[in-house]
Amino acid sequence: MATVVELPRLTDTMEEGVIAQWHVAVGDKVKRGQVIAEIETDKATMEFESFDAGIVLKLVAEEGETLEIGAAIAVFGKKGEDAAATLASWTGGAAAAAPEAAAAPAATQAEAAVPEPAAEAAPSSSAADERIPASPVARRLARESGLELSSIPGSGPHGRVIKADVLKAAGAAKASPKSAKLEVARPKSTPATGKDVDHDGRPYASFEDRAIKLTPMRKTIAKRMTQSKRDIPHINLTIPIFMDAAAAVRKELNGVLAGVKISFNDILIYAVAKALREHPRVNACYTPEGLIEYGDVHVGVAVAVEGGLVVPVVRFADQKTLKRISLDIRDLGKRAKDKSLKPAEMTGSTFTVSNLGMFGIESFTAVINPGEGAILAVGRIADEAVVEGGEVVIRKVMRATLCSDHRVFDGADNARFLATLKKILEAPMSLFT
Amino acid sequence: MPEIQIRHAIRDAMREEMTRDDRVFLMGEEVGHYKGAYKCSEGLLEEFGERRVIDTPIAETGFAGVGIGAAMAGLRPIIEFMTFNFSAVAFDQILNNAAKIHHMTNGQHSVPMVFRGPNAGAHMLGSTHSQAFEPFYAHIPGLIVVAVATPYDAKGLLKTAIRDPNPVIFLESELMYGVKGEVPEEEYLIPLGVADTKRSGDDVTVITWGQGVPVALKAAELAAEQGIECDVIDLRTLRPLDMESVLESVRRTNRAIVLFHGWPYGGVGCEIIAQIQEQAFDHLDAPVLRVCYEDVPMPYAENLENLVLPTPERGLAAIREVSYAR
Repeated sequence: MATVVELPRLTDTMEEGVIAQWHVAVGDKVKRGQVIAEIETDKATMEFESFDAGIVLKLVAEEGETLEIGAAIAVFGKKGEDAAATLASWTGGAAAAAPEAAAAPAATQAEAAVPEPAAEAAPSSSAADERIPASPVARRLARESGLELSSIPGSGPHGRVIKADVLKAAGAAKASPKSAKLEVARPKSTPATGKDVDHDGRPYASFEDRAIKLTPMRKTIAKRMTQSKRDIPHINLTIPIFMDAAAAVRKELNGVLAGVKISFNDILIYAVAKALREHPRVNACYTPEGLIEYGDVHVGVAVAVEGGLVVPVVRFADQKTLKRISLDIRDLGKRAKDKSLKPAEMTGSTFTVSNLGMFGIESFTAVINPGEGAILAVGRIADEAVVEGGEVVIRKVMRATLCSDHRVFDGADNARFLATLKKILEAPMSLFT
Repeated sequence: MPEIQIRHAIRDAMREEMTRDDRVFLMGEEVGHYKGAYKCSEGLLEEFGERRVIDTPIAETGFAGVGIGAAMAGLRPIIEFMTFNFSAVAFDQILNNAAKIHHMTNGQHSVPMVFRGPNAGAHMLGSTHSQAFEPFYAHIPGLIVVAVATPYDAKGLLKTAIRDPNPVIFLESELMYGVKGEVPEEEYLIPLGVADTKRSGDDVTVITWGQGVPVALKAAELAAEQGIECDVIDLRTLRPLDMESVLESVRRTNRAIVLFHGWPYGGVGCEIIAQIQEQAFDHLDAPVLRVCYEDVPMPYAENLENLVLPTPERGLAAIREVSYAR
């Protein structure tokens, strides 16, 4: 009896997946535990090891196709068995209900795809001999198709009319080679006002909108951030922290430690972990049944990656050495970039730190990761003029903003945590006691 | 087909022509006992003896002149410059004798010979040993100028150059002597003055030669990843120019860049661009751009040299610019 292979749940939060690549082809013999495909989930691209053995009779899912968990992706069996019959009698999986629902929006989309209005005609004020910047081939094509150059929007530098503009105006624009056809329902472009001409009366060039398909990661970010902003009353408090002492300690450590380079972020994560241990209420989350104060301190570190961001977790951060934290963060960050983090390494954080200092951001507010009570948003470290005892002195200043769930704790708790964090970072030797 | 290095393609071409025609001989610094500074004449001394594989003193004016005289007297000399940088010493012989004698004697004498050796920047050789000589020689009526980038082209074109009744400047590359490629075992010739399209595409024409060819091909690969397909035309002969191939391509793509190892001012790139605008003006959709050395003497320091040399990334930027890619 042939078996239908279903799309497995590979992470806790996975609801759908994309077959990134098949590793088997029809006719291949598959053993149990053999990697048969790479599946892109909301978190990472993961190898799918087969639960079944047999000959591959049919690959149902195509590479790049987005499927719900439980959808049929392949049929395995003995040589000569009929895959179609097996699929026809197969009732399992989530796919059974899905097709009709999925088909409906596709149809409305097609109807919605109205052709774009033709470029509006420009006022005929411009003198015929006025010099319009145009490439030679555009000039020739315009002449050949009987079009006025002055009525064609120029998309080249300084409004130069180029070949593509003339072809577009002539209604014969060939599809640009790089514009992949995406089936995405999109809002209509900004409507023309009828006054979109420059001081010479020439129309401005209008560029095509680009539709970008949502990746599983983007969908997850969209869902969780919306959920957070909708459900969690955020309060945001910012404190300036003087980082001169931390800079000195960092310099000294990097002078003596081998095989590791301590960054400000490493010191920050360590200080946050220590401060969380002192303020367990901040290391907590809200549930309708009651608050949960987490026993362990697992600090999530937001890492920007291509197409989104991931939050790998430095586990038991308060109990680690600074060197260990530094090595962990370097390793997690590197693997976040090449998308080889395991889902377990991206779950279980009790608090998150988001640092945009490397982009020169002074301070910002972040969105709480659902399941946590707060997130620390950290800006750059910069020399600033500070008044101390009536004197203007130069200090290295960093601004940290604690964004927290008002249902879990209040402004004063928030402030006390920030005061502790400031105290630790301004006297960083306390980290080593 | 066997895969061989460019240096061996050059040696095989010389050996086949020396075997075929006993008027052909090789002369230059270190070409005999040392087998050539870049080992392009390995085995030739043993095979043909000291009368036909001649080690010279360090005296480029002298041996270039001797070669020209031998050619006028009916022999077929191949003069190797250890690098074309040293051909500057022999410039008067090449400019005033090799290039002019056929004209000035009303055809009573011809100068059938080849001047060959590596050209253009290599790696950290400083400004006097990193020069690109094609603009100097391609400027002169009476000379033929060839620049090769593959073993196949090197062998086929060198054999043709040796048989040609005119003086031929044959430009090789120190960095590319080890480049491997397929070369047929049976004899073949490649005509002078015919370009070769090394990659096909309809969006942008990339015109290149010599050491620029691998850079241009890599740039075209990067562009293809972004959906821009390039025609990469290896000119192979810089004088006479195969403008028909270039113009056919430009009329199709409407956009062109010239990518080469050499300086921008008054170079071969300028000549190509001049001819494109003269002969395909109404087909151009963007100004033709050059990707080449920065207009400074070649620095010795590696980091600075890297800033001067054309790279695939600079090639890609130019390709995107002429495509109006956003």
